[in-house]
Amino acid sequence: MKNRRLIIVFVTFALLLTLGVVQAQDATVVQIFFPIAVDSPVTEILNGYAEAYEAEHSGVDIQWSFEGGYADVKNRLLTVKEGGGDLPALAIMLATDIYDLVNAEAVQSWDAFASDEYLADFTPTWLSNSYYDYDGDGTGELYGLPFQRSTVLLYYNADLLDEAGLSVPANWDELASAAQALTTDAREGILIPNSWPYWVFQPFAAGAGQNIVSESDVDVFFDNEGVISALQYWVDLYQVYGATPDGVQDNWGDAPGLFADGAAAMIVHSSGSLRSILSNADFTVGVSGVPGKDGGSYTVTGGGNLYLVAGIDDATAQAAWDFVQWLTEPAQTVDWSIQTGYYNTRDSGFELDAWKEYAEANPQVDESRAMLDSAVREFSVQSLGDVRNVLHTQILAVLNGETDPAAAMAAAQEGADAILAIFK
Amino acid sequence: MAAHPWTPRWRGKRVSPLPYLLILPTLAFVVLFTIYPTFQVIRSSQVYYHPNRPDRTRESDLNLPGVAVESRSIRGPHDVGLAYFRAMFDPTTEEGTIFFRVLGNTLVYAAVTVSASMALAFLFAMLVNRAAKWIGLARIALFYPTMLPMVSAATIWLFFFTPDYGLFNSALQVFGYTGPQNWVINKDLALGSLMIVAIWKDAGYLMIFYLAGMQNLPSEIYEAADLDGASWWVKTIRITLPLLRRTTLFVSVVAIISAFQNIDHALVLTYQLVSGEADLLLYEIYKQRFVLQNYGFANALTVVMILLLLVFTLSNFFLSERSTEARA
Repeated sequence: MKNRRLIIVFVTFALLLTLGVVQAQDATVVQIFFPIAVDSPVTEILNGYAEAYEAEHSGVDIQWSFEGGYADVKNRLLTVKEGGGDLPALAIMLATDIYDLVNAEAVQSWDAFASDEYLADFTPTWLSNSYYDYDGDGTGELYGLPFQRSTVLLYYNADLLDEAGLSVPANWDELASAAQALTTDAREGILIPNSWPYWVFQPFAAGAGQNIVSESDVDVFFDNEGVISALQYWVDLYQVYGATPDGVQDNWGDAPGLFADGAAAMIVHSSGSLRSILSNADFTVGVSGVPGKDGGSYTVTGGGNLYLVAGIDDATAQAAWDFVQWLTEPAQTVDWSIQTGYYNTRDSGFELDAWKEYAEANPQVDESRAMLDSAVREFSVQSLGDVRNVLHTQILAVLNGETDPAAAMAAAQEGADAILAIFK
Repeated sequence: MAAHPWTPRWRGKRVSPLPYLLILPTLAFVVLFTIYPTFQVIRSSQVYYHPNRPDRTRESDLNLPGVAVESRSIRGPHDVGLAYFRAMFDPTTEEGTIFFRVLGNTLVYAAVTVSASMALAFLFAMLVNRAAKWIGLARIALFYPTMLPMVSAATIWLFFFTPDYGLFNSALQVFGYTGPQNWVINKDLALGSLMIVAIWKDAGYLMIFYLAGMQNLPSEIYEAADLDGASWWVKTIRITLPLLRRTTLFVSVVAIISAFQNIDHALVLTYQLVSGEADLLLYEIYKQRFVLQNYGFANALTVVMILLLLVFTLSNFFLSERSTEARA
């Protein structure tokens, strides 16, 4: 009697289990490694997208796998690839990690899927870190599809500028004197978080006539008059103008809050902070690019791209591509932008009503969009970790008062050239 | 003696298989998660492999002894034997520079944090080893840093270290400090800031061992000392410290091993100091393996770390064995 009951229970479980397995095998699983890099309910938003997509498309199971930060996603993917385990179909990783990822054969090209018409609708600047000629045939293959993208912005307290009778700074002199004029005992004129400096440094270097990288994956431009003057300008901001804290500012996380609280009149920060600043500030927030040395407005691209993982079967790759197409439709890119503060990456998205309403309520987003034409390519070369360490070491040495900008950039150039020599 | 159903003989003696069967599951885990990876690391430390580089052939000055010039790929993998170890012990090479800097940092870090946190732990234990009304609260307060995860502790300290208005800098300014304010991204101060956090965090933990040791000390000895009119100082130096010799030995081994394994606070506090002046051994392994993707060097460093820890563990084993015999 007892035995029979046991057997029934066992058989029922076995049946249920088989049923579950069969059902699971029915759907193509598209697993996506995703980093949490912004202060918004990303998991809820993305799970909502997955549900919406699965409702329209049966037979696909979208699984977001939240792995920590960008570095964690990259390490996890490389570890799974080297050590075994289930590879995801897609991963969101830094646009600048393209060379590391492709060289490690951890990702594969989108060329088999993405048509020219599809790509034409992306704002071109977002594709500046997407191509790499890995096979050496003379034309670059497409590896990164823009998704989670941002730029560097100058945020200014428009009310304070008005009160002081100042216009929005249009060049370095105006920026420095405005920051100096707005500095009080309780307020910094400008904050430039520079403890992990390359990204916020790039608009300044570009504004002095030279981005630190070109289109090439083996050339850097550190020992350059413009780049040196940009670094000197950072030093002058505290040494000459007393408009920013001395030396290294390890305040990337604090700066948006300090700005919104009125403890800083201006900050140079990611466009990703726009949402939190707008919701916390009780003054008129102005945004612009970083002014150039003699005028103009400069910024740099940043953020993460969608990568197609190498070594997955064709059906999974196809299902991943189908989902990516849907995810990068203007309706979704606009919604993603509104909900997180990342950029809408599709030009046609700006024509949608949802965007127009949003931009009307938040004129700053149109300001930030207007700067995309002047966005330069983010720092990315072969052996990025090594080369970036060389640059950061020298910039920090200058900020810590150990050396001067000209000597530092000469040393950085020498170090970087030595690392990059083996790729030439 | 009741015979086992099956008792094999080894060198003429009966051997019961039961104890061996019982340790088998543990042994399987040790082999799988400790011994096998150790051999794997030793093997990998002899391989030149940079997976973040394209597979291009270069005849240039890569450190690739024994690899034919025409087949030198900048990516690898190439078998290079003990080339990484030779380079590490040659200060003129890049690996040697990094290795000696990291080894120096780690030894300074271990020496300072271990001695300081042990001294503090002993002091704390003396302070709270008494019956008083709120002594439980005092013990909790001293033990509290231990309960925080290292990452949280480091994050709190990041605020303390903030230039100008940070608690740490403000307090120092009261005492007339006029030096650099930037502690964690400054090549002269970063290692010191790591040590401060580690001492703050470890002292309370080590205090527990001393406290337990002190509470087990026989009170008659102190009563006898009191009768002889021994001062507090004499009692501490002549009675408490010698009697806690074994506790001290145990605590020092625990502290040294944890000093070698600390990495979390470096990931929060000083990771932005990329020039490496504050890099500790385990952090350098992480950096070489995951940030710079230099597999062979990371594995060679790991082998050195395993050897160092093995020396500490073995010397502790023999020291404590000897002191047990001496007492018996």
